[in-house]
Amino acid sequence: MIRLIDVHKTFKQGASEVTALAGVSLDIAKGQFAVVMGPSGSGKSTLLHLIGGLDRPSRGDVVADGRVISQMGDDEVTLFRREKIGFIFQFFNLLPTLTAIENATLPLILDGRAEAQARTKAQAVLERVGLGRRENHLPEALSGGEIQRLAIARALVFAPTILLADEPTGNLDSKTGGAILKLIRAINREENCTVVMVTHDREAAALGDRVIYLKDGAIEEMRG
Amino acid sequence: MFRLLRFLSWRHVKRHRLRTFLTFLGIVLGVAVIVAIAIVNRALVGSFQRTIDLIAGKAVLQVENGESGFREALFAVIRDTAGVRDAAPAVEGFLPLLAAKGEKLYVYGVDFLADSSIREHQFVGDSFDLDSALDFIARPDSVALTETFSRRLGLPIGAKIGLATAVGVRQYTVRALLREQGAAKVFGGNFALMDLPVGQIALGKQGKLDIVDLTIDAGERIETVRRRLTARLGGAAQVERPRERGEQVESLMTSFRVGLFFVSLIALFVGFFLITNTVSVSVVQRKREIGTLRCLGILRRQILLLFILEALAIAVAGSLTGVVAGVLLADAALVFVGRTVNSLFFQLDLGAGAAALGEIWIGLASGIGVSVPAALYPAWQASRVTPLESSRQAVWRPRSSGISRASLAGLALLVSSPVLASIAPSVAASGVAKFTLGVIAMMLFLLGLSFLAPFLVSAWAGFFWALVARLPKSSRFLRNEARFACDSLRRVPGRSGMTIATLMISLAAIFTVAAFVTSVRESLLLWVDRMVTADLVVHSGAKTAGPLNVPLREEFGAKLAQVPGVAVVDFYRLIRSTYEGKPIMIESFSAQRSARVRTLPVITGDGQSALRQMAEERGVVVSESFHGKFGKGAGDVVSLMTPSGPVGFKIIGLYVDYTSDSGSVLIERELYKKFWGDDLVDAFDLWLAPGADPQAVTREIIHRYGEPYQLFVSTHKELKRNVVALMEQSFSVNYAVEIVAVVVAIFSVINTLLASVLDRTREIGVLRAIGATQKQLRGMVMAEAGWIGLLGGVLGLFAGAVMSYHHVVYNTKFLTGWTFQYYYPAGVAVVSLVASVILCLLAGYFPAKQAASIPIVSAIGYE
Repeated sequence: MIRLIDVHKTFKQGASEVTALAGVSLDIAKGQFAVVMGPSGSGKSTLLHLIGGLDRPSRGDVVADGRVISQMGDDEVTLFRREKIGFIFQFFNLLPTLTAIENATLPLILDGRAEAQARTKAQAVLERVGLGRRENHLPEALSGGEIQRLAIARALVFAPTILLADEPTGNLDSKTGGAILKLIRAINREENCTVVMVTHDREAAALGDRVIYLKDGAIEEMRG
Repeated sequence: MFRLLRFLSWRHVKRHRLRTFLTFLGIVLGVAVIVAIAIVNRALVGSFQRTIDLIAGKAVLQVENGESGFREALFAVIRDTAGVRDAAPAVEGFLPLLAAKGEKLYVYGVDFLADSSIREHQFVGDSFDLDSALDFIARPDSVALTETFSRRLGLPIGAKIGLATAVGVRQYTVRALLREQGAAKVFGGNFALMDLPVGQIALGKQGKLDIVDLTIDAGERIETVRRRLTARLGGAAQVERPRERGEQVESLMTSFRVGLFFVSLIALFVGFFLITNTVSVSVVQRKREIGTLRCLGILRRQILLLFILEALAIAVAGSLTGVVAGVLLADAALVFVGRTVNSLFFQLDLGAGAAALGEIWIGLASGIGVSVPAALYPAWQASRVTPLESSRQAVWRPRSSGISRASLAGLALLVSSPVLASIAPSVAASGVAKFTLGVIAMMLFLLGLSFLAPFLVSAWAGFFWALVARLPKSSRFLRNEARFACDSLRRVPGRSGMTIATLMISLAAIFTVAAFVTSVRESLLLWVDRMVTADLVVHSGAKTAGPLNVPLREEFGAKLAQVPGVAVVDFYRLIRSTYEGKPIMIESFSAQRSARVRTLPVITGDGQSALRQMAEERGVVVSESFHGKFGKGAGDVVSLMTPSGPVGFKIIGLYVDYTSDSGSVLIERELYKKFWGDDLVDAFDLWLAPGADPQAVTREIIHRYGEPYQLFVSTHKELKRNVVALMEQSFSVNYAVEIVAVVVAIFSVINTLLASVLDRTREIGVLRAIGATQKQLRGMVMAEAGWIGLLGGVLGLFAGAVMSYHHVVYNTKFLTGWTFQYYYPAGVAVVSLVASVILCLLAGYFPAKQAASIPIVSAIGYE
């Protein structure tokens, strides 16, 4: 499902170069729940960004859903991301002026889907994440947990085959965070959706089928 | 504080070079316009006076009587008045040179032997002695030119020159060359000296004098001699000091100069909004930085001062550059303004546009004086940023639904504007004061709308958000971008509101000028239709009657009458005079000759009846501006200064006249000739016999007399075209300011959109992450620019319509006494609106490109 082949990523920082990933090779099977852990600066988020096509590797290839996304043009990778990949961010990144349902329909609107069709799909995913009755609320009227549920709903609206989560509970209390993790796990199982989640939380990591430890841009250890 | 300025502000400026440069350029343009107009205004004020001073020489008093002059017989009376030491008589006027098109000579006819007591003419070469002078006088074709003019046109001593005079073309011989000193310095050396009788013939002033320059005996007081002379002249001429004469003539241009000042106010006003906009954008961009500084212990007042100092630094740099640009701009402006003044008022020697200390101060004071107050509000907003901002994620909260303080202030200003406009006529004494209050009312109106702009942006964006959602599916693509753009506007209405206000003000200024020009043009054309019914109008030396044409003797009319096809010939004369010490114009034609073929645009009553009464010499007709200035109307008696002394005339009616805003008196030609003793003619009005072809008659007139009299023959249609061309020329400076307003508005839009993109970096990253393509991002920013253009355009047209109506109908009347019909320039409105949207879309291109190229990863991690 997801394959990284000798992926390197370096960033220029002034005159020097910083290595974020140093030859990472990795296979994640379809439907697998992979958790990426590691200290700050180990390359976790970079790995996620490369899988999501948000960034390009300096060397090596990234294959997702059978396609080499690291060699796609910007428009191609954007359309691929829109349909195949769902993102969940630590800071939610919702549009504050849009209601819950408007936020959830956003990817469909970007895709030019009809309003009615988009709403129907969005309503379904909002029901799925438990926000059926909050669809006309603005993000600021929702609680932290509800906001992240809304972000998950937005990520799911296209029924993606890959769900990427960057510290999804990092901004939530432990109880709410636990509920969100359960939701992601449930989605992973019920939709057979491949999940890659970056986290610092060991308890969260326990939910994964597989845990990948990164250190200094390389895989230090893999479990599961 | 200066360390902070160096560490923080300078680095910010360096990082945002383009935006800083746009702001700097905006200030430069605004200050340049203000300095240029100040230089032009000073040149206008001083130029006529300088000319008078140079020509007046040692004279302490001058006897004159406007353009009509006075009888030469009075010279003896003047010379023999006790206390008068030297008296030098002269006639003056402009005569076109035949050999060089466009060249005119300021001809001064003097008593060649007596004149040296007043003016020191320095001749080139030692050989010009008394014998030479006597030889010069003895030959009736002698002329002395300046050395510069002679060199420029290759006219050495002995050369022949042809001049278009009042009696047709005459040949003269250059018999002396003058050094460019004293009087010979005027009009850039286009100066010619003739002996008095020769000058009198050339200028059609036989038996008359234009001026007598006087010095007085030692020990005499100027005022005493002046009183004696005034008493002895009995009102047949006025006795004035040279300075008073200059001031009086220059007061003719008051409205023109006030109009120019009004134009520079527009530049100032637009500049104010550019600065506010720029500093606001800077605050938005640096909120996190400010928050961090607050965490580190910077005080609110230090933040306030920092932002004010930043604005001040850019303002000082922009103002200094603006002063230099203004001086350069003034040179060009003086050319245009000089042409206008020479065509409409009198011949002026404006010279080059050097900035005096005064203009430098005006430039610096306006640039800095506008920038600092403009930066105050956004700087205060910066000082309100909390330390939490440094760690806060971009959280937007809808504003409370209640009306904001800014909106309330806007409403208050909108209400106060018409109140001030309505009380202006009763609280202000002079026309200029009423005009000023009217302009302030207009500014309050614009300010009010500007304060309301954020509220209007919210309302507009909400409305369009809903409207766009109803667009058909086929326009889905556009619809999404448009909706996101609406959302962006709605979220930060203050930022968009500021840009929309700047755009609105620029457009309102443009529209006001356009509506004013249209109204003046259409009113003028209507007036020409009603005032000049002649089929053909004949002038010498210029296309229209005014300061540029050469008056011809009346006898020439008999020649024109003999041209086949000409049925009626009438004589039109226009001269400057004074009434109650203020300049007025005297117009005359022969209603006795032309009442049956003429019409007169009277304010009330019947034009034909007024013409009949004129023909019967029962009185005079006065213009509405005369009525407005002096309060004299039908039935009153006006005492006019004539060369025959003061004469009372009964006013038989009021007429529409746009010849001069100083006020005009229209008089039957026979009466004019009787009291003014002047038979010169500025224009011959010809009515053709039925069936006569105007083109054929024109060709015949030109064939017979075109060359010897330097004639310009205009059909009615051509005359209208000439009048419009003159009018358009007088608005040339306004058009320049319009361009500045547009450029500044574009800068504002670019600034705002750049800020909008920066402000939404994270959001843009998220949109890209969830599948928005670069093209869609570009579309969103462009659509936002389009919305700004549309709303700014609509508001600008609304404000422009209100302002232009007030300006045309009330302000202009206050200033000039003229009534203009208001004409709405529908074409300009449509073009302005479309142009506003297109320009904003163009301005949005760069920010849109920037938005699309933001790297997603760094955007979503943007702090």
